[in-house]
Amino acid sequence: MSMFKSWRARVALFLAVVGPGFITASVDNDAGGIATYSVAGAQFGYSLLWTMIPITIALVIIQEMSSRMGAVTGKGLSDLIREEFGLRATFLLMIALFVTNFFNIIGEFAGVASSFELFGVSKFIVVPLSAFVVWGIVVHGTYSTVEKVFLSASLFYVAYIVSGVLAHPDWRAAALSTLTRPDSVGFRNYGYLSMIIGLAGTTIAPWMQFYLQASIVEKGVTMRQYTASRLDVIIGCLFAAIVAWFIVVACAATLHSIGKFNIETGADAALALRPLAGDYAYLLFAAGLFNASLFAASILPISTAYAVCEGLGLESGLDKRFEEAPAFYWLYTLLIVFGAGVVLIPRFPLFRVMVLSQVANGVLLPFVLIFVLLLINDRELMGKHTNSRWYNVISWVTVGVMIVLTIAWLIAQAPW
Amino acid sequence: MSVVALSELLGATVRDATGAVRGRVREVAIAPQDHPTRIAYFIVKTADGERMLAPSAITSAGATVRAASEAAQWEIFTPSDGLLLLKRDLLDQQIIDIHGRKVVRVNDVELESTPVNSHLLIDVVAVDVGARGAIRRLSKGLVPSFTLRALLEKIPPRVIPWQFVDLLETDPARRVKLKIAYKGLAQLHPADIADIVEDLPPAEREAVFETIDEEVAAEALEEIDPDIQVSIVESLDKERVADIVEEMDPAAAADLLDELTEAQSGEILRGMEPEERREVTHLLEFGEHTAARLMTTEFVAVPETAVVDDAIEALKTFEGSREALAMIYLTGPGNKLVAAVPLVTIATSSPAAGLSQLSEPYRACAPDTPEDEVAALFDKYNLLSLAVVDEHGRIAGIITADDVITMLRHA
Repeated sequence: MSMFKSWRARVALFLAVVGPGFITASVDNDAGGIATYSVAGAQFGYSLLWTMIPITIALVIIQEMSSRMGAVTGKGLSDLIREEFGLRATFLLMIALFVTNFFNIIGEFAGVASSFELFGVSKFIVVPLSAFVVWGIVVHGTYSTVEKVFLSASLFYVAYIVSGVLAHPDWRAAALSTLTRPDSVGFRNYGYLSMIIGLAGTTIAPWMQFYLQASIVEKGVTMRQYTASRLDVIIGCLFAAIVAWFIVVACAATLHSIGKFNIETGADAALALRPLAGDYAYLLFAAGLFNASLFAASILPISTAYAVCEGLGLESGLDKRFEEAPAFYWLYTLLIVFGAGVVLIPRFPLFRVMVLSQVANGVLLPFVLIFVLLLINDRELMGKHTNSRWYNVISWVTVGVMIVLTIAWLIAQAPW
Repeated sequence: MSVVALSELLGATVRDATGAVRGRVREVAIAPQDHPTRIAYFIVKTADGERMLAPSAITSAGATVRAASEAAQWEIFTPSDGLLLLKRDLLDQQIIDIHGRKVVRVNDVELESTPVNSHLLIDVVAVDVGARGAIRRLSKGLVPSFTLRALLEKIPPRVIPWQFVDLLETDPARRVKLKIAYKGLAQLHPADIADIVEDLPPAEREAVFETIDEEVAAEALEEIDPDIQVSIVESLDKERVADIVEEMDPAAAADLLDELTEAQSGEILRGMEPEERREVTHLLEFGEHTAARLMTTEFVAVPETAVVDDAIEALKTFEGSREALAMIYLTGPGNKLVAAVPLVTIATSSPAAGLSQLSEPYRACAPDTPEDEVAALFDKYNLLSLAVVDEHGRIAGIITADDVITMLRHA
């Protein structure tokens, strides 16, 4: 009886804090993420699956630090950067975050457009409608209702697992290349190397640290519930990694095996899957892309508006009227209107903007991660909850590798 | 008399009596124990360590600080947590703007220097929370200072005078040393205090509730969002919580205790005075959404034999909220409710008139009446207040219209 009771209490405790970590990790598999995983599967088959485990570890380590910082300080990341590093550093970082996230938002709306074009619905209908839904969910929902909508959207990622199964992959080969050390021959291939970098870069984006920490704070998680909250982060990252794994596998089992390597986006992948894996796999893949894009498009504008306003000390919050928090509402509205509007411009170079958004993420990421590491080791701020020595070694190595990979990737992307 | 911004002083070169550059200003310190607004000294980073330079030895302070003494005479700085350091403790930090009733972030600090004899007195006069301070800091060193000054003059200032600033400090010992008491905050309406507290991070919330008067804390706590109430109560020590809960309206206290675990609410109840504890535990016996939980036990009841004058005397000594005074209740033997007289009738009748002759029909309900039925009664009969009567016909409390509005808004 008491066993049952304590088990039930533990489940209740977990359910009370589940959300931020799970949602953040899921949104990570956005339009850009799905495109990258699809391309990785199509071009290199199962041979890149080994990257999933190290990438997941890096993701867990970085996300855990953000959520711990939120639980200990009760403040958002941009607040902390402002308080510890001053106005000038914050100002520059906020401009960079705004621009980067704006490109990301365009990418998400482009994902919305392309997913519905697969069903023959014009983007001129879908994109404005989606922008309106995005605006409505956030403006008219409370934190807990919005979180429920988002959690349901996270569960919808199961679509990718199903379409992965429908693709009838070679399970043995897939499992083997996930768990075994990669063949060193591949590393001499330039395309293979740059794909690894792309995978790492798409998995950890700067906005995630701001969003995750802010939602931990908003949910009111403190160190008392932190054990459960950490579990939320870990499970979220694992789920996101499993979804990514299935996307790679689906494309590897179909596109790669018939030699169709040249896809660029998630929509391309869905289309190419159809004759190989059947209508259901195609539908699930396309619907998953729509869900992922809309989901990320809902989170990015609001999280950007909050982060920028809090860092710069401007009034923010949906409980304020427009006149009370003009900067906040303007930022939010501009991001949605222009993010969605740009996608509707005829002959707009969408694919290049999506690449550009990844580049912007890559430029910003090292700065954000270094701020995170400096803050989390600030004893005055974190008290006894700073990183332990071994955790610091792992996290600096992780961040160092991420930075090196990102810089390498940027150099690879450069037009010269 | 001239105004100088903290951001202009920080990093300013310091010249001693000989005119030679001796260092740069690193910090500006106030010692609140000695004077609440006066600058005690600048901390100057010199070639041989950090030194203190008091305004009494300064002849001018701006982009260059000129001292009247030789650098060798400046004392070595030793850190102490009884000092308010303007850069570390104020710049970029959040403060409470008492006048504007909100939490704001400091962009710059305005100091006023007054020449006295051949030296200066420097005081903090205001904090800048607007674009002017932000732009000054962002463009410092990038734009020539005269262009910058001309530009800044065009920007309307958004400053908070120092007397309307309440600092946030989470360390209780340091709070005492810096004389931070949230006096300004405590003057505000409890609902405004609640709004401000909801905007603060948890540690700062705790600091406010540890410091302010129990009565104010209780009224503010009643107005705070239930989830945040719980987190505040969990963070404070249980004795302090018991003191605050004692001062709360019993119905609000019962609602709060219901949100806590049994162990937590038990501990708080044990810490309370017996009378308040009895009242709250009695309310806890009723379900969460019942009339008993909406009612207040502070109302005016006089014997049915009383006259208008008696009622007026009772009003004079009444300490509860004014919303409860729409009706004066008349009780018979055994505290049984027998009649009610509207306040307006009392105000317009002669002092010697018997209250029972003035009585008008009143509405009452049982303590376990569901709250939606209570709301329906208010709506149907256009009530301002409703008596809650127990199974023996005794008046247990009253519900007022504002309680019903709050209940409906939170439903």
